[in-house]
Amino acid sequence: MERHFELELEKLNKRILKMGNLVYDQVHNALEALLTCNIELAQQVVELDNKVDKLDVKIDKLCQRIFALQQPVATDLRLIMSALKMNNDLERLGDLAVNISSKVEGVSEYGEILAELHIDELSNMADIIVKDVITILNTRNTTFVKDIFVSASAIEEKVQAVSSRILDEMMHKTEVIVVATNLMIILTQIDRIAGYSTNIAESIVFIVDGKMIKHKNIFKETGPVRPGEEEDFD
Amino acid sequence: MKEVKIKTRDLTLFYGAKMALNSISLDIPEKEVTAFIGPSGCGKSTFLRTLNRMNDLIPNVRITGEVLVDSLNIYDKQIDVVNLRKKVGMVFQKSNPFAKSIFENVAYGPRINGINHKARLEEIVESSLKKAFIWEEVKDRLQDSAMGLSGGQQQRMCIARTLAVEPEIILMDEPASALDPISTAKIEELIFELKKNYTIVIVTHNMQQAARVSDHTAFFYIGELVEFGKTKKIFTTPDKKHTEEYITGRFG
Repeated sequence: MERHFELELEKLNKRILKMGNLVYDQVHNALEALLTCNIELAQQVVELDNKVDKLDVKIDKLCQRIFALQQPVATDLRLIMSALKMNNDLERLGDLAVNISSKVEGVSEYGEILAELHIDELSNMADIIVKDVITILNTRNTTFVKDIFVSASAIEEKVQAVSSRILDEMMHKTEVIVVATNLMIILTQIDRIAGYSTNIAESIVFIVDGKMIKHKNIFKETGPVRPGEEEDFD
Repeated sequence: MKEVKIKTRDLTLFYGAKMALNSISLDIPEKEVTAFIGPSGCGKSTFLRTLNRMNDLIPNVRITGEVLVDSLNIYDKQIDVVNLRKKVGMVFQKSNPFAKSIFENVAYGPRINGINHKARLEEIVESSLKKAFIWEEVKDRLQDSAMGLSGGQQQRMCIARTLAVEPEIILMDEPASALDPISTAKIEELIFELKKNYTIVIVTHNMQQAARVSDHTAFFYIGELVEFGKTKKIFTTPDKKHTEEYITGRFG
């Protein structure tokens, strides 16, 4: 006999995954709109954000209901705690897609600058990191979590490098200040996409392995987990 | 971890030919609450009863291994069982007041231990009832029959009766399972207070109760100790799959 509780958890898993896929589409379309200067597609992303918001509220309410009625423990507790956090992170990713989309018009006439700064590479990296983290969310295979952190570091470095170039340009060419400012905002959004993706990866590790890896930089460099960093239950 | 108050080593118990406990080794820390959980028939109550030799009263029980309370093996021949049970008190699932007044119920233990001085007895009764958080409710009717108290009050009076003989350890076998939520909450608050001065071991079927009141949790299954650890860990990230299945209700 399948328990009512199991059905609730299954519903939660499905909704989180649905949210993940929806948000991935939003990020993908926002980046696509940016690279192809497609204002219509950008507008579509902005309009679809309310679907993300509605699902966000639905997931929060479901988590609240499970907490109140089922008093989850162990793996169930970790799942619901993490679902709440991932839901929040996914919703924020959706907002970042909207932020990027709302700047598409401001940079749409500067395709050559985007190409020169290799924004396409950065967009592609941001697209892949979100796609990969949603795949891990689906498969719960934490072996690939490290790749998310490696990609996030690469995105961070690239964002810094491109930002420096833009700042240089801004100092020398006052006529590019408006487009450069828009680009800087877009870069910040891409950097945050990487950040929220790592947050989601951390939540998946917590669900699957019961380990809190946030703030521990365990995937920085290539070193193993430092001794004494295991979960402390004092 | 605090000092170990009770230590069992390879404790095995047979009811006739049936093994009810299989080589249990466990360290119960002093002045903390340790909860035993597990499905019916897993041996948790049997194990609890070995800690003050209550199983001695059951025929065909055979026990091997050691139970050390303050480093003394309580199954040694020279151990005085009456003194042991004074030191290791017990509260049962169903409150069991004597058909006497509230005062006499609580004074019963001290009296059989030779305390007959009225003022001294009054002092013990008052302080025991206060420690069990029931003094305010009964102070004006100490001579009334204990049978007239509510279930929750009876249970707290029984705890006061246990405290009156100044134990160091209190064993509780499902102390709140027959009580309503408010009385249960009072017992749980009481356990929280009592652990400042006593070592408490509690058997409960109510997992949320174990999670709420205990510092350490031991999960038993078919006479074996499956997992023992900090309650915070057991209820968030248990090491054993079996424990996980039990506490999340996916058992069997």
